[in-house]
Amino acid sequence: MKDLDRLRTLIKEPVELVLNQQIKMEMVSSSKYLAMAGWCDRNGYDHSAGFFYKQSEEERKHAMKLFHYLCDQGATAYSPDVPPVGQEFDTLRSVFESALDQEIAVTDSINRIIGVCRREGDYATEELMKWYVKEQVEEEYIARRCLELIDQIPADQVYYLDKKLASVTYDENPFEDE
Amino acid sequence: MESNVPVSYQEVFSTDKGVVYQCDRTNRLILSFWGSTTPLSARDFAQFRRMVSTVNVHQMALSTDTADDVEILTIPRSERCYVLTLCEVIHLRELLNGASLMLELNSMLRECGCATLSTLG
Ligand SMILES: [Fe+2]
Ligand SMILES: [Fe+2]
Repeated sequence: MKDLDRLRTLIKEPVELVLNQQIKMEMVSSSKYLAMAGWCDRNGYDHSAGFFYKQSEEERKHAMKLFHYLCDQGATAYSPDVPPVGQEFDTLRSVFESALDQEIAVTDSINRIIGVCRREGDYATEELMKWYVKEQVEEEYIARRCLELIDQIPADQVYYLDKKLASVTYDENPFEDE
Repeated sequence: MESNVPVSYQEVFSTDKGVVYQCDRTNRLILSFWGSTTPLSARDFAQFRRMVSTVNVHQMALSTDTADDVEILTIPRSERCYVLTLCEVIHLRELLNGASLMLELNSMLRECGCATLSTLG
């Protein structure tokens, strides 16, 4: 008897399900970062706002990468419902704390997906998820480094802090090829 | 029920309420339930199974509202729909889940390089 599901796609149902959940999570991240960008913008943190606008775009790209993968491989990708996100924050520090929380939640989720891939013997999707693993190492690093800077730079040097925060990168990421 | 089954149909799973066949000639799964026979693609079959498994049977059982006496289920990409009572939803669920398990078993056999279901007889 033919394996009809396998003829249609290399992606199994449990993997399709968790990838669709991840698409949603990335789109929620995108929405959260946009809210953070808006808060920074209206509170005068222009550089941090720019940083979060860019992050918001990045998260959408992360979602789209999975969306295209599912579609290209014959599986079904669903455009997710994105629930409302918080628009207000107490301080600049709390914005970056939320960013770190979100990135940690995403890292955990990526790790769980790899667990599902291994259980299902889906090495192709696991390979794709490795890109996300490396990406998360970088994103967590940046969020943590920003929180460090907030603690290190004196509170009255707001403009300098804002500029510094937006310039944080992870140049030494050991997982990056180049 | 079993009399006019085309030769290309292989039985995947059956209960006393219905049968699921697979036709390797057309790459379709055929759902035979309540006197109607519907060919479905593997994707639509999986979607229909999900629809059936997410019917809120507790609400159907407990509600006194007549609207909850039956569940209307539209088969994907088909004109047909089922109007089912609580018992029938359960029977359909049993049939679809059983078939899905057999299909999964078939996949597992293929994956480990064994003979697939039909060649086992
Ligand atoms: Fe992301
Ligand atoms: Fe991220």
